[in-house]
Amino acid sequence: MTQARETPLLSCRNVTKAFGSLTAVNDLSFELAAGEVLGIGGPNGAGKTTLFEMISGQTGVTSGTIALEGRDITTLSPVGRCHAGLARVFQLNTGFDSLTVRENVLVAAYYGRAPRRMPGLRVPSEVGDRVQDALGRVGLEASADRPAATLPVIDRKLLMIAGALAMSPKLLLLDEPVGGLTQREIDRVADVVRQVAAGGVTVVLIEHVMRFLVQLSNRVMILHHGKKLYEGDASGLSRDRDVVEVYLGHGAGKEVARMAADRAEVRHVG
Amino acid sequence: MTAMRRDLLLCGLFACAALFWPMISDMRYSVTQTTFFFIWATVVVQWNLVFGIGGIFSLAQVAIFAIGAYVTAMLGYYLGTSMLLAMPAGAVAAVAASLVLGIACLRLYGPYVALLTICVSQVLYVLIVNDTDCFTNPPSGCMPLMGGVRGFSRFGDLGFRDWLGAGFYIGNYYVGLLLLTAAILFSIAIIHSPMGLAFRALRDNPVYAAARGVDRFRYQLWIFGLSAFFTGLSGAFYAVNTGVVGPVVFSFQHLLFLLSMIVIGGIGTVWGPVIGAAVLMLADEAMRELGDFRDIGMGLLLVACVVLMPRGLTGLFQDMARRFAKPADTEGAT
Repeated sequence: MTQARETPLLSCRNVTKAFGSLTAVNDLSFELAAGEVLGIGGPNGAGKTTLFEMISGQTGVTSGTIALEGRDITTLSPVGRCHAGLARVFQLNTGFDSLTVRENVLVAAYYGRAPRRMPGLRVPSEVGDRVQDALGRVGLEASADRPAATLPVIDRKLLMIAGALAMSPKLLLLDEPVGGLTQREIDRVADVVRQVAAGGVTVVLIEHVMRFLVQLSNRVMILHHGKKLYEGDASGLSRDRDVVEVYLGHGAGKEVARMAADRAEVRHVG
Repeated sequence: MTAMRRDLLLCGLFACAALFWPMISDMRYSVTQTTFFFIWATVVVQWNLVFGIGGIFSLAQVAIFAIGAYVTAMLGYYLGTSMLLAMPAGAVAAVAASLVLGIACLRLYGPYVALLTICVSQVLYVLIVNDTDCFTNPPSGCMPLMGGVRGFSRFGDLGFRDWLGAGFYIGNYYVGLLLLTAAILFSIAIIHSPMGLAFRALRDNPVYAAARGVDRFRYQLWIFGLSAFFTGLSGAFYAVNTGVVGPVVFSFQHLLFLLSMIVIGGIGTVWGPVIGAAVLMLADEAMRELGDFRDIGMGLLLVACVVLMPRGLTGLFQDMARRFAKPADTEGAT
């Protein structure tokens, strides 16, 4: 832990992404220590998902550097970043539809941890165990043999998380993991994420559901027009006039203040 | 693993049944035609791994087959190499050529792969046919390095003529059967392996597959190289079995004949290519007397199959099986 504090787990320096004349992410810098949970919020089009795309390698940066554990990964392929310890959960309900739930996780467990130069003919039992463990952590063991296409939305989201966990990542990127879910389902995902974070995995999450964001994050960053509007403790959100004006609005601002206070209380008691 | 067990069982049954065919059929013609079926089925089973499983729209398989055939024939003709050595050498040469081609074309996607690979095989054809410089000058006449238009003959055989006399073709039949059985076993192993899983994942969602660590280029190159071994070996065996290798193996018509086998049988399945090869060879045989109408007949058959059963014969069988066994509707597609 002490060593991790010296080199940040993730460091983005002056990261910029321009699509023609539109600058989606503009000269953004931030660092993330190992074990942290960073929540990213902001209005639609603020550049949150573009930031994730650049960190996980689906899109290249226009300028700037991204480093994982001090190693420059800016030009690494998405596959290379997986093997460096980075796992991303996508915003849309992504999955391998023709594969079963177990096979979906198996792909990640077999290929996601280290490069397989020469793929073998059988799945090692250690990989099978990891699949079972990942399914257990999100509570999908019962649906293991169902085709992924037949799952309800909540289970598809959990399946994506299970795939990411099967890769044993150091850094987990969650892009709107609870978008479109009911309150009850949100709590279920929150429990899973809390346990993952407690297990020492560093998490970055993008979310519009403020309750989820505030409850889980150690630190919150609000983006607007590709720039950092706010960075700091969740309790400061409602006191920041810009954040209230641009993103939360006055009503929700008060709500967020109350949620942050609840969280602080829980933390003191716990 | 049940799907894999079923396929292995079917493969065993097929091989056992085929063992008795030369004893039942006393017509030499039907036995030698079955040997050709083994050769073409081997090619399309491997092609299916590239095209149907790996999702690579490659038309290079015929060129790879021809490389296996030519290398074997040339080793025998020029160096007098035993066919037992020349055949594996031809297969290895095919793998090497396939890997070079794969590195060049797998950066591309879809139809561009098809264009590049068909170019390579047509260029090879033109190079061989247009080469008129004599490399050697035997009594039979000028011989260009790659055989030119006339190709190679009398480069050796597997020794069945000395051993079995007039029944030598039966020896070739069993070699062909061994070749196809090995090719099918290899195909089953790949389809049910983690590599087969990676290809299914890539077909479902390539971006998500990359985000889960599946390296498209690497595994496509693997399947490209691996499948070339049996393709080259079947080319080598074609050379030995026929006794002649000429530029006709590169022909576009030949390529379409083989591609039709995969399409009619069912793309991306274990048994589709084998069934397709059998059906097309039987259809070709049935139309033998029709002269020019034979090509039209083959074309009509292909169109009818694509329109009426886009997933090929295996797709049709699966649909039928599902309809009859509706309550037990749990088994997935192979």
